[in-house]
Parts: sequence; C-alpha cells; structure tokens
Amino acid sequence: MKQHQLNLITGSRPEVLERVLRVVRHRGFALCQLNMETVPDSSSLRIAVTVESERPIQLLQSQLNKLIDVFHVEALDQSEQSALKISA
Amino acid sequence: MNGAQYLVKALHQQGVTQVFGYPGGAIMPVYDALYDGGIPHLLCRHEQGAAMAAIGYARSTGKVGVCIATSGPGATNLITGLADALLDSVPVVALTGQVASPLIGTDAFQEVDVLGLSLACTKHSFMVQSVDELGQVVADAFRIARSGRPGPVLVDIPKDIQLAKAELDTLIELVAEQYENDEQEAIVAARKLLSEAKKPVLYVGGGVIAADAVAELRDFAAITTMPSVTTLKGIGSLDPNCPQFLGMLGMHGTKAANLVVQEADLLVVAGARFDDRVTGKLAAFAPHAKIIHLDVDAAEIGKLRSAHVALHGDMRSVLPQLAMTLNIASWREHCAAMKNDYPWRYDHPGEPIYAPLLLKQLSDALPENSVVCCDVGQHQMWVAQHMQFNSPRNHISSSGLGTMGFGLPAAVGAKMARPNDEVVLVSGDGSFMMNVQELGTLRRAKLPVKMVLLDNQRLGMVRQWQELFFDARFSETILSDNPDFVRLASAFDIAGETITRKEEVPAAIARMLQSDGAYLLHVSISAEENVWPLVPPGAANQDMMESKP
Repeated sequence: MKQHQLNLITGSRPEVLERVLRVVRHRGFALCQLNMETVPDSSSLRIAVTVESERPIQLLQSQLNKLIDVFHVEALDQSEQSALKISA
Repeated sequence: MNGAQYLVKALHQQGVTQVFGYPGGAIMPVYDALYDGGIPHLLCRHEQGAAMAAIGYARSTGKVGVCIATSGPGATNLITGLADALLDSVPVVALTGQVASPLIGTDAFQEVDVLGLSLACTKHSFMVQSVDELGQVVADAFRIARSGRPGPVLVDIPKDIQLAKAELDTLIELVAEQYENDEQEAIVAARKLLSEAKKPVLYVGGGVIAADAVAELRDFAAITTMPSVTTLKGIGSLDPNCPQFLGMLGMHGTKAANLVVQEADLLVVAGARFDDRVTGKLAAFAPHAKIIHLDVDAAEIGKLRSAHVALHGDMRSVLPQLAMTLNIASWREHCAAMKNDYPWRYDHPGEPIYAPLLLKQLSDALPENSVVCCDVGQHQMWVAQHMQFNSPRNHISSSGLGTMGFGLPAAVGAKMARPNDEVVLVSGDGSFMMNVQELGTLRRAKLPVKMVLLDNQRLGMVRQWQELFFDARFSETILSDNPDFVRLASAFDIAGETITRKEEVPAAIARMLQSDGAYLLHVSISAEENVWPLVPPGAANQDMMESKP
C-alpha cells in the first residue's frame, strides 16, 4: 500500500490533533508516523503525518482542508519524501 | 453583566429571534439571562426535539437555527440532531452548558466530554476557555454555521464562564461573507462540454438551496431546456411543472429519471454528491456521462466520481455564466416520451386507502407555499414521489442521516418560523413514536401543525426489505401493539380522527385543513404496501424492481 506524508499547519486549540486524527481514521487511512510541534513565536502547530491507504491521498487532503483549525495541508508523494530524506 | 447575559446580547447581535432548548443545572445562568433577555425560547420536551426544531426552523427559512441544552445528558441528547444537520448541511448553532472549569476532567455530576463527542457530528465546535473569548467564539460559530457548505456548530460553555463578569464593548463586529469566483478557464471548459453534449442531464442536490441559487438554477434549466432530476434534498429546487423535469432519481426515484441519467453523455451536477442512495452501484452510474460538478465544498468534487470540470465557487454567479441554448431537441423529446410512458399510477383496487393517492390528494389540497415535514421510511419516499413542491424550503425531510423521529420536532421549528404558512407533518407509526413527546411542545406553543399519520402497524421500510431480501422473516417490525393515536393526541388537547377507506380521504383532508388548531389525521393503511420502484442494494439504477418478484 502506498504511503504519503502530509504536512499541516494548524491552530493551537487543545483538540486540534484529535480532529486531524479522527479525519485520518474515518476517511480510511492508517497512521504510520506522527510528529507535532509548536511553531515558534506563533499560535500555530506544525503536524506531519505519514499515512497509508488504498484510497487516493487527495480524498484525505481535501477533508483535512475542510477543518476550520487547519490552515494549510501539503501532500508529498513518495518520490518527494525520499528526495527530502536524501537531502536531509 | 455576566457571561450568560453577554451571550444573550451576542445572540441578539446575530439576529437570533427564536431559540429552542431545555434547561438544566450547568446551563442555568443562560436560562436566567433568557428569562427577560428578549429572545423567545420554546421549551421542547427532549433535547433531541430542540435540535430538530432548530433544523426545521433553519431549513424552512435559511436562517441559523439555535438550540440550547445543559451538560451531560442534555448535550448527548443533542447529538443525533447535530449529526442530522451535518449530513444535510443545515446551519445550526448548539449552545451547551458545561460543568465549571475546575470540575472538568473530574467526572463531575452531569459531566461528559462534549467537545470530544462533537468532533464527528459537527462542522466545528468550541469549548469556551474564558469569558473574554466568548464574543469571538459566538461570532465565529454563526459565521462558520452559515458560510460555505453550512453545518452545525457547537459551543460548550463552562458554568463559571457563564457567571464571570463580561464587558459589553467586546461584542464582535459582523463581517459579510465573501466568495471567490472560479477561474474563467473552468467556465470556458464547462461551456465547451455543454455545447458538445448530445444527451445532457441536470442533476440537482441540496447545495442549490444552501447557495440560495434556486432562481439561477431555474433560469439555467429554462435556457438550456436540459432534462433535469433531483435528489431527495433537491426536491422543490426545480419547477415541478417544467416539462423537462423528470422527478427524483435514485433508489426510489422515478423510472424516467433513472433511465435518462443512465443514458446521459453529460451530467451537470449542481450541489449534489453522488450519494449511494442516488447512484445505486456507483461504477455503473451514468456510465457514459462526462461530469461538470458545481459544489461549494471542494472535498465533494472527485470524492466518489471524478469531474471533467470542477466549479467550486458561488453557484449564483457560476450558473448564469453556463446558461446557453443547446441543440438537443431530439434528446428532449426522447426524455419527454420517457416521462409520458412511465407516469405514476393511482389506480388501486378495493376500499383500503392507498397512501400514494392520499398524498397526491393532500398535495393538491394544500395552499400555496405550505411546508411539509416528514419522518423517515416508506411514507417519506411516498411524499418525495407523490407531493409537489415549488420551493426546497417547503420540503423538509431528513435525507442524509435518515433520522426517524425527525418530522414532528422539525414541524414545530418550521411552524415557529413561518406561522402564516400551513405546516403539515407526514409521519409513520414507527417514526411518530420516536419523538412523540413533542406533542407537548405543540400544545405549549399552541402550534396548529396538521399531522397525517400513515399507520401500517409496521416499521414499513424495514418490513419491505425483510419481505424482499430476508425471506419474509419479519424480525421486530410488527407494531400491532401501537397506541390509540387519536386518544394519545387528545391527551394533548389535539383533535383528530381515524380513516380507513379511500372514499373518506378528501373530506378528512378538508376537515384537517379547516380545523383551527393542531390536528391528527390517523390513516390506517395496509401493511403489505411497498414503495416502488426500488433499485435493490448493489444494483445499477436501470435494474429497478417495480413489483414483488
């Protein structure tokens, strides 16, 4: 099954991670990896998730985009992810 | 002024003129503020009733419906209503009391994690963290509820915040919603597909109502002369007398609507979402059609069926840009012949009342601009098939969630919103009992809602499926122990009568409509009557059943 990484910028209300994870699960994606950190000098969070599913990643991306507290969603496909790993 | 009084001022500022709810411990400061706060409150007899009354109010007017409940069981009782509003994109704001902040997380009396519960059944939700943010949260809640694709928003307010000192000058200014229009290239591409199409069909859903684009839609339909179909929620959006209108499509749609869509080479999808009750077997739905998809919710575009052209701007500005004359005379004639060949039939043997005919007679007898609310099941499909609606705000049916018990409280909300229009409830004996306590709300507010109860002493739609798909094993669907409904209504001072024969119907409908107050017309119908046509589960829409095999 294909894995995808999603990078999100979100608001910082206490329940925002629950909202993101609920949508990931409900829309049929399995969580493989998760990282969350506060963005310095701002009231937002940076969340990176790696997910796996038979379903196209655009379905999840568009549902996450609908969350009021999610300001930005970026999907990286596998080739971009490996390129990032190499450059890191 | 305390937070609760501030909240009532904020509701005033949002233009709220009616709220529905039920008091309790953790929301008492708000009820104290409502006591002389100038916003009328209607006590429903269950929080679910309050949520559904708010939905009926919102759907019949386009305004935001507001419901209020206490913490714990009050809030959990709202959940079904919120889920209903989410699935049908209804703008509702739910205000719940919460135990005081220091008690949250201690399993206090009537404490439940309402914010956690709300995540799956609201468009958005808030737990207010300080009285200083209350104004912003209320303004955001109303903005989110009514903007884009509308939906329910929950605001959970701890009791200490309701009691905290608040400053009036922090009320938030209201800002009008702006929509971005779509790129011109998509319009050009859509016009090209339209001009090339030989067999186009307009497939209309509830998004048209949310966009307030009924007039633009009807202009588009009139200019293109394109054959058209609607979903359950789209009913009323198109002129029912338009010759190109073929009725509802889907599981219980008209034969003409389903067959025409299967033949189409282009679907113009206006505010609809390829729901499984519409498409039947998705892979076989409109197999030859290209798709132009108009929806304000970008997540609906490509969710179940890829679009050749996607337009997710404001339908009111997009539709006029797509309107053009089309050279489709032979297709139009083909569709008209189909409509003519497969009309509804009302000939029915014997004395017993035939519900589809009764509903047609009711539809013909109702004054212009009446609102019909219904419950869920066979009667709901018969209403959709056999009654005519000239506005989507006049047909209020729990479509996405299919919530039994929806009809009576929705009718309460609709009648409160539109006291000068006739409001009729069409219900079934199963659904009616699910929120029967709202008869008390009718009595309390002296609401002259006319109720038609189609009683087959069965959970009819489940019975129908048991008969057709479960070897007639009627598991828990026989309700021969129903109460005497007319006596039940009379306990709430509601007049009524029972009818059992076809010939009684016209006069009984007239008596109901001429009565002064609320009225229950209890209609005894056969248990064996089924809803036809029926696209069986997993089948393509052209493979509909029209009678028992």
